[in-house]
Amino acid sequence: MGLHIAPDRSAEAPIIEFREVGKSYGVFKVLDQLSFSVKPGEHLALIGPSGSGKTTILRILMTLETVTSGNVFINGVSLNREQKNGRDIPASEAHLRKMRADIGMVFQHFNLFPHKTALQNVALAPVLTGRMSKAEAKDRAIQLLDKVGLANKADEYPSRLSGGQKQRVAIARALALQPKIMLLDEITSALDPELVEEVLNVITDLRNETDMTMLLVTHEMGFAKDFADRVLFFEQGKIVEDGPPSELFHSPHHERTKSFLRKVIAAGQRV
Amino acid sequence: MDWSWDFVAQIMPALTQGLLVTVEITLVSSVVALVLGLLFALAKMSPVGSVRRVAIIATEGIRRTPLLVQLYFLFYVLPDLGILLSPFTAGVIGLGLHYATYTSEVYRAGINNVPVGQWEAARACNLTTRQTWTEIILPQAIPPMIPPLGNYVIAMFKETPILSAITVMDLMGEALAQANFNYRYLEPITLVAAGFLLVSLISAAIIKLLENHLNLRAA
Repeated sequence: MGLHIAPDRSAEAPIIEFREVGKSYGVFKVLDQLSFSVKPGEHLALIGPSGSGKTTILRILMTLETVTSGNVFINGVSLNREQKNGRDIPASEAHLRKMRADIGMVFQHFNLFPHKTALQNVALAPVLTGRMSKAEAKDRAIQLLDKVGLANKADEYPSRLSGGQKQRVAIARALALQPKIMLLDEITSALDPELVEEVLNVITDLRNETDMTMLLVTHEMGFAKDFADRVLFFEQGKIVEDGPPSELFHSPHHERTKSFLRKVIAAGQRV
Repeated sequence: MDWSWDFVAQIMPALTQGLLVTVEITLVSSVVALVLGLLFALAKMSPVGSVRRVAIIATEGIRRTPLLVQLYFLFYVLPDLGILLSPFTAGVIGLGLHYATYTSEVYRAGINNVPVGQWEAARACNLTTRQTWTEIILPQAIPPMIPPLGNYVIAMFKETPILSAITVMDLMGEALAQANFNYRYLEPITLVAAGFLLVSLISAAIIKLLENHLNLRAA
């Protein structure tokens, strides 16, 4: 007779932790003393009005932006600072590269490499970072393209792909380095409406089949609700409300959240 | 004055020799302009403010003064400071340096034209800075640079006659020497024009081919 203990996520060490993070451009505060943490395997949706700081959070995690104050930790290791000879200094490029190895990102505007085929886009990083031989990377890239339903487009250049296909190649590219954290930055915002679904289906599969920690910034409330097991509502660089989607979308505590959702529904979205 | 084929035959060897010098000086100066221009461009985009400022002052200073004055400086003023350059060397430095300030703008525009999203994607793919340049940025930045860079090379070629002012015996220098010696200008100067036209047309065709080749590869 064994004692069965249900996996208790609250006891797990966070994979991502923001500790009093501030980010400003001049006098404009994008993030304001922001603190939150994410547990391994969590699926987070970050919602809120434009300019509320959602995308900045992803960009800081991808080390595309630096923080103005505070600290960000990945698996307990500081992303923006490092210890060298007992001194605490801003992270060097070498430290950043080590930290980036666990993080993948899909961008709003795909950012595929236009001079490389779909296959080369996916196989490039594993080869250049020395993780795989060319042959291994190619096999893996074909597998990944197959997973996003584009094995038949492997040798096409991005200019010959539709927006939805480009974004699926970009997802395959982000998966190629086998990240533990996947950042999805408004990945359907630049797509024609009829192409949104094929991209979201791929994300839903990933969500269900992998144990990656995923952070989704989106304006698609319906998808956020289906995707997330936790939703953060942001306004002016602060978290206004943090909870499971059932609660946040259907019985929000905060007046700000309610008014945001009302506007979204008025704009014709299903919640 | 009648066109004399005998005179043409007589001066042809000297003019051919001059044309070779012209082509040679253009090629060497082009290498200087292309390499130095890239260095200027990188300096102008340097994250270090002082490097950027020095590069901008130097390139603007060179670009906004006449080439002829710079050549006189290199060939006639530097010896006073103890630096003696041959006409050929002074010509290459003058022409190369002057055009490097133009090519640096081509490089800078070409590199800036690569969308910032490409840098970000390269970072998300965890490429090194060097890999980002060689695999992602330069392959996209270079093809559109080829026509303007090629045009500067042709412009340099057409500007070489100015080097006769510092006694370089290029096509123009040889032609002038022949003309002054024989008191006949018609044939030498006509042949100079024909020589330049011929080489310019061939160069333009080569650049066009190169451009098509790169466009095909990029498409």
